[in-house]
Amino acid sequence: MTVTASPPQAPATRETPEAAERRNPVRFAILIALLVLLLLVVAPLLVVLLNAVKSPSDYASHGPLALPSHLYWDGIVTFWNRVNFGQKLWNSFLSSIVVAVLGVVLSILNSYALGIGKVKGRVWFLVFFLVANLLPQEVLVYPLYYLSKQIGLYDNLISIVIIFTVIQSAFGTYLLTSVYAEFPTELLDAASVDGAGKWRTLWRVVVPVSRPTLGVLFTFFFIWTWNEFFLPLVFLVSNDNQTVPVALSVLQGDRLMDATTTSASALLGILPAMLFFVIFQRTLTRGITAGAIK
Amino acid sequence: MFRTRAGAAAGAFLLATSLALTACSGSGSDDKNSGSDAKTLTLWHYEGPTSAMGIAWNKAIDIFKQKHPGVTVKFEEKSFEQIQQNAQMILNSDSAPDIMEYNKGNATAGLLSKQGLLTDLSDQATQRGWDKKLSNSLQTTAKYDDNGIMGSGKWFGVPNYGEYVMVYYNQDMFKKYNLQVPATLDDFTKVMDAFKAKGITPLSVGGAEYPAQQIFYELALSKADRSFVDDYQLYKNKVDFHGPQLTYGAQTFSDWVSKGYIAKNSAGIKAEDMGVAWEQGKFPILISGSWWYGRFASEVKNFQWGTFLFPGNSLHPGSSGNIWVVPEKSKAKSLAYDFIDITMSPEIQNLLGNSGGVPVAADASAITDAKNKELIDNFNKISSQDGLAFYPDWPAPGYYDVLVAGVQGLINGSKTPAAFLDEIAKPYNQNLTDIGK
Repeated sequence: MTVTASPPQAPATRETPEAAERRNPVRFAILIALLVLLLLVVAPLLVVLLNAVKSPSDYASHGPLALPSHLYWDGIVTFWNRVNFGQKLWNSFLSSIVVAVLGVVLSILNSYALGIGKVKGRVWFLVFFLVANLLPQEVLVYPLYYLSKQIGLYDNLISIVIIFTVIQSAFGTYLLTSVYAEFPTELLDAASVDGAGKWRTLWRVVVPVSRPTLGVLFTFFFIWTWNEFFLPLVFLVSNDNQTVPVALSVLQGDRLMDATTTSASALLGILPAMLFFVIFQRTLTRGITAGAIK
Repeated sequence: MFRTRAGAAAGAFLLATSLALTACSGSGSDDKNSGSDAKTLTLWHYEGPTSAMGIAWNKAIDIFKQKHPGVTVKFEEKSFEQIQQNAQMILNSDSAPDIMEYNKGNATAGLLSKQGLLTDLSDQATQRGWDKKLSNSLQTTAKYDDNGIMGSGKWFGVPNYGEYVMVYYNQDMFKKYNLQVPATLDDFTKVMDAFKAKGITPLSVGGAEYPAQQIFYELALSKADRSFVDDYQLYKNKVDFHGPQLTYGAQTFSDWVSKGYIAKNSAGIKAEDMGVAWEQGKFPILISGSWWYGRFASEVKNFQWGTFLFPGNSLHPGSSGNIWVVPEKSKAKSLAYDFIDITMSPEIQNLLGNSGGVPVAADASAITDAKNKELIDNFNKISSQDGLAFYPDWPAPGYYDVLVAGVQGLINGSKTPAAFLDEIAKPYNQNLTDIGK
C-alpha cells in the first residue's frame, strides 16, 4: 500500500510540467489527503502498539487510547510462551516459503504453455483459472477435508502447502500469462535460431527476462499464504502444526477478550509479514517499473 | 533439481499415507475395549491459563498424572473459534482428542450427539455419582435426546462450572449518593432514578452484543415461573410472545431507555467496551454474567465494588458452563472418565471456587476469599431453587442475531415493544416447525 503512495523517479523525463505543477494548489490538497490516508492506515497499528505494552489494569482504568503509564512487556512474553510462538513462526515461514517457490514455478510452467506456447483453448483455461481463483474458500472446505482425510494428510502442513500452491498459482498463471502473451517474439526467435529447445528457452531466456515480475509474485504469494487464516484453522488441528494467524486466535474466548494480550499477539503476528515486506519492497517497485519500461 | 524435490515429496507423501492408513486400521479393532490400557490422554480445552478453569484444570492434570503414573497427558490449548468452527470435522477424523471441552447447547453438543460423534456417558454418570452432584437445571445442558435437544435423554457431557447473570455495582458511587443495595425491583428503579437525578446514566449496557438481550430476558423472568422457561427453552408448550412475561420484559426495557437508565447510544456498544466503561467508573451499575468476575477482581483498582442478584427475581439467566465431552473416536475412554471424575472432586471444585470461578459442586465453607464466597453462595442459592433460566438466544439457531437486532431497535426507539415481540416471535416459531414440534 505504501508502494503506490510513493511514485518512483519519473520527473527526469518531463521537467517543465513538473515545475508548473509545483505551484499548483491541487498538489497541496492531494498531499494533505494522502497524509490523512496515511494516518488512517497507520492509526490501527499505533493502537495495537500502544496496548501491546500496557498492563491490563492500566487498560481497564484508562481505556485503549491512553498512553501506557509504564512499559509492560509481560503480555508479549507470556503470549510467546503460552502458544510456543517460535514453533508457529517456523511453521508459517516454512509453509509460506514453500508455497511461494512452488507457486511461482507452477505459474511459470502454466503461463509458458498458455502465454508463449499458445495452447489451443487457452482462453478457456484462463477463465477456468480465474473462476478457481474467485471461489470462496468456504465452498472448498468440505471437499478438501474429505480428500485430505482419505489420503491421510488432514492435520498436516503438507495439505496446506498443496492447497495454497494451487490457489496461488491459479492467480499467478492468470497474471503471468498476460505478461508472457506480450513477450518480445524477437528474443524467442533469436533463441530458437541459436538452437535452444523449448525447455532451454524457458529457463535461459523467458525466466531471466521476467524475473522482476516473478519477484513480485513470490513476495505476494509469501505474504498471502502467511496471512491465511480460514483453511489453516480447519486443516491444522494439532498445536504443533499451527501457523501464526491460527495461534493468534487462541486469545479470542467465548465471551471475553483480553485486549492487551490480544494487542501483544497482534504485534507479534504482523511484525514478520511487515519485515518481509520491507525487505522485498525494492523487488516490488523494481517489478512494477520493469514492466513499465519494457 | 525441482524434479528430484517433487519426487522426494511424492515419496514422503505416499509413505505418510500408508502410515496413516495402517494406523487407522490398527486402532480401529481394539477401540471397543475402551482403551483402559492406553498410554496417552489427549486433552483439549480453550480456557486461558490464568482463568479459574485454566488453573483448576491444570491441577486436575497433575492429580491425574499422579494417579496414572504410566500415562502421558498431551494437553493442547485450543482457540474457541477453532473448536466452534471445526468440531464436527475434527471429531470425524483420527485427529480427534480423547477428551475435550465443548460448548453446551442444541446447536453444538446436541448436534454432535445426534450425529453419533460423542460417547454416551449415562452409565458413568450414575456409577460415579455425577448425577447426584449436579442440580437439575445444571443437568439440562448435560443431557440430549435422540434429536439432539437438551433437557432429557442420555448424558453426553459433564459441566464443571456454572455461570449466571447478576448486578455489579460501584460501591463508592453508591456510598457517595447514600444509596443502599436494592431488595426489590421497585427499589432498584429508585436507585437508578437517584443516579439519573444527579445526571449519571446508571447502566452500562452493550447493545451491539449479548448484554442488552440478557437484561430484557431478566425483566421477562421477573414475571415468569419455571413452566415459562420450560416452554421457551425446552419447547414443552407453545410460547405466547404477547403473554404477560415477554410483554413486561419488552415494555419495561423500553421504559428504561426512555427514562434514561440506558443510554441511547448503547445500541452500538460492544460487551468489551461496556465492561471497560464500568471499570473506569463511568457508570455505577452493570448487569452481566459471572464470566466478568475474575477480570474485575484483578483489574478494578480505583474503587470498591460488589454484586447482588437481580432484585426480586427467583429465575436468572445462567446455566452450566461448557462441558467435558468424550469423542466417540477417543482412544482412551476410561482414562477420560477418570479425568472427568477428578475435575468433579471437592479438591478441584474448591480450587475453581477459590480462583474466582463458579464451581458446580464445591463445599462453600472451603472457599476462603470473602468475595468469591459471595459469588458461589449466590450461585448455590439459584441452583438449589432450580433458578437457572438459560439464555434468551438458545431456543433457535441464529436467534442471537435476531435478538441483538431487535433489542437495538428498542434502544434507539425505532421499534415499539409490540413490534419487537412480533419480530422475535417469527424465527422462534419457524424453528418449532423445522424441528417438528
